[in-house]
Amino acid sequence: MSSSSLPTAPAFTARDVAVAYDGKPVLRDVSFEIARGETVAVMGPNGSGKSTLVRALLGVVPLSGGQVWIGGTPLRRFRDWAQIGYVPQRLSVGGGVPATVREIVASGRINRRRRFRPLTAHDRDAVTEALTAVGLLDRADDSVYHLSGGQQQRVLIARALAGEPDIFVMDEPMAGVDAANQQALARTIESLAARGATILLVLHELGPLEPLIGRALTLENGTLVSDGAPQHSDHGCCSGRDHSRTDTGRPPPTLPYIEVSRRA
Amino acid sequence: MPEILQLDFMVRAFITSALVGMTAPVIGVFLVQRRLALLGDGIGHVALTGVGLGFLTHTSPVLTALVVSAVGAVLIELVRTHTRTSGDLALALLFYGGIAGGVFLTGLAPGATSADLTSFLFGSVSTVSPQDVVLVALLAVAVLAVLGYFGRELFVLCQDEELARVHGIPVRFLSTVLAVVAAVTVVLAMRVVGVLLVSALMVVPVAAAQQLTRSFRATVRLAVLLGVLAALTGLSTAYYTDTAPGAAIVLVAIALFVTAAGGGILLRRRRFRTVPEAESPPAVGTISGTDPGSVSP
Repeated sequence: MSSSSLPTAPAFTARDVAVAYDGKPVLRDVSFEIARGETVAVMGPNGSGKSTLVRALLGVVPLSGGQVWIGGTPLRRFRDWAQIGYVPQRLSVGGGVPATVREIVASGRINRRRRFRPLTAHDRDAVTEALTAVGLLDRADDSVYHLSGGQQQRVLIARALAGEPDIFVMDEPMAGVDAANQQALARTIESLAARGATILLVLHELGPLEPLIGRALTLENGTLVSDGAPQHSDHGCCSGRDHSRTDTGRPPPTLPYIEVSRRA
Repeated sequence: MPEILQLDFMVRAFITSALVGMTAPVIGVFLVQRRLALLGDGIGHVALTGVGLGFLTHTSPVLTALVVSAVGAVLIELVRTHTRTSGDLALALLFYGGIAGGVFLTGLAPGATSADLTSFLFGSVSTVSPQDVVLVALLAVAVLAVLGYFGRELFVLCQDEELARVHGIPVRFLSTVLAVVAAVTVVLAMRVVGVLLVSALMVVPVAAAQQLTRSFRATVRLAVLLGVLAALTGLSTAYYTDTAPGAAIVLVAIALFVTAAGGGILLRRRRFRTVPEAESPPAVGTISGTDPGSVSP
């Protein structure tokens, strides 16, 4: 499917990556490689630069230093965007013009479709398959703005799936998704990994994805403090912040599971 | 044949209005989704400077307005993306600068009267020349062709700029295309609704349509239908009441919006009553799968 990049080159290479907003450094000297087919989590407390890191890898925020390669191609020259499926933190409502779940999911195939051609059977199948994978096929013709936050999150994941990429970048895909659907999403992500997809996830906690993730990049104050097997019970990294934590997808009885996503 | 259609200038006005009513909501739907509903207004004010320039240089005000508003549209995109000025402040600058420029240049032009300016501010049925009809038809085709060509990209761009970047969509280029297409639409609508109200014909039919629809495609179609309806009904009303067509067209559009908003409320109520809740009860202590934004106890 992907043509321009070398199949053996790492999916992502970051060398001394630095990002600054308004001159204030947010990321410093972050270096790592992510091999094809790896499933890697980016973890760390709020404000540690997790989202900024994945957005920098995709060229959404400019680097103030260092270099990024995608599939061996320098980010600046990378053009094969159909390879990449990005799941943003949340669905942007924009000006509120209605759009159905199916329309949003089908727009994920933008790099797979030819201009002025109607949807092919394969396009339709890919969209239906993606909707089925996230359990929203029965809501396909509803307006996305009538869905709950968790359902909208699943729409965004289906949107990325529909593009049939081989690299997935997901920014807190489990945020706002209830426990049952977290399990379902974990199974979807597991099957992607089994098919050989590269998966990079920003996660606040491992939750039901724990068995899948062999490697975590942990950020703290914009620097990479560890790169390796995830710490399975890391309490205390986020004390005093605005969310409580669950450990294995089973929420504690008294505290609601709230993920407050940050938007730069 | 009704008397109104035996008048050549009214037939020209009807053709022009229908084209404008059809085109304006199509660009409008993207502007609304991009939260640039007032961009058309800003460009309209700049177009007035173009009209003034036309009076002053004795060239066609439509052509000078086309050039000046296209330049203004590019400028506003540059201001929006390259400076710390927020979008609405950039628009405010355009509003004031554009209208001041228009009045000033018209004042300098020998022989131009405030009546000439008024016909551009609020539209005029009797001044649409045969050349205007041809020009408006060509511009309408151009606008619809560009929007059709970039439709899918614009859908993603207006939904989420960040997502558009990750798809490799040329965000800056398409934003400029959108602004220039909006400028062209302003100019083609200028003769009928006037520069001060042109933006209403881009935005109000979209606002009305989205009360009743669930999909983007249906919103575009219904907005076009309502736009044409408002343009033709408003124009007839203006003819019989001897008023400026822009005002009548916009008032009809707003009446359509109020009706649609009422219909939308009824529609949603019925939908809620008939559609059974498909979602299973959310697990305790999770974000509820059904009520947006709330946390179940």
